[in-house]
Amino acid sequence: MSTAGFDELIHAPKRLEIVSLLAAAQWADFKYIRDELGLSDSALSKQLSTLESAGYVDIRKSFVGKRPRTSASLSKTGRRAFERHVAALQQIIARSGQDADARPADAADRSILGR
Amino acid sequence: MGDTQQCQPAGSGPASASAAAELAEIQRRQQQVIKAALVPVWFWWVMAAAIVAIGAARDSHDRVVLAITIPLAALTIAVLIIATIPGVRRRVRVHNAVIPAAQAALAIPGLILLVDGVLIPTSAGLAEHGVPHPLTIGYAAGAAMLVIAGPLLNRYFGRLMLTNARQRMTDAPALRRPWLGLLHSDPGDHSADHAGSANNGGPA
Repeated sequence: MSTAGFDELIHAPKRLEIVSLLAAAQWADFKYIRDELGLSDSALSKQLSTLESAGYVDIRKSFVGKRPRTSASLSKTGRRAFERHVAALQQIIARSGQDADARPADAADRSILGR
Repeated sequence: MGDTQQCQPAGSGPASASAAAELAEIQRRQQQVIKAALVPVWFWWVMAAAIVAIGAARDSHDRVVLAITIPLAALTIAVLIIATIPGVRRRVRVHNAVIPAAQAALAIPGLILLVDGVLIPTSAGLAEHGVPHPLTIGYAAGAAMLVIAGPLLNRYFGRLMLTNARQRMTDAPALRRPWLGLLHSDPGDHSADHAGSANNGGPA
């Protein structure tokens, strides 16, 4: 596991969904991501472009027969950033847990942390 | 490059509830990818039907029935098997590190042995005792094994892939006995597990 680093780019809800989906995948079709996340073509294109500009996502355009096919995959940089982001989230939860040990936790925190 | 910051102390970054929700979202999306990689239940039923059709055709001893049924059933089985190969007409491919290759290398031949281990002795035993339609019954018994064991195997792979994905993502310890999941949970529904993995994320 790499060191923790909260990533504002990945933290944005739609981008988090895209990166999470791609993190478990070798690659995913543009249409698959669009359908699974319920995004419009333009919304997905915009988010993928942002991630691509950051070097987090690789976009590949190819042809299946005569039909164009666009697929996306998480780059090494993107995967590292995602792992660091996940580690940062876990640290936040862990620290909150330590705080909770020191003082009584409220009911909401208890239910989220399952403690 | 993205705007990456060092992990902030609790209170200055997103709240723990928000972090837990974000981790839950991550796992939910990973489950979606894994679910897309698993074969649907109808796959096992169609395979089973093709196996029974071969048995019934062989019992008929009719050359026309054999000439039509056996190639058709074999083609059906071949198409179904090819369709399960990652990357073949799939819209997403599970990451190589998540695929339980070693377990698949053992489990798939194991399933074939199990089906044949039921099909062949049953057919041979019934034929020896003069039972009518021994091959149909024997093949149906093998097909029944496939319909029972196939979805269990599917669920086992789903659970293994989830464990692998979780291990890649977190420091959570590996699920020691993933076969326990065969009995009671769908790989696509692990929201409860996820709460656990969020907890395992640190020394909370």
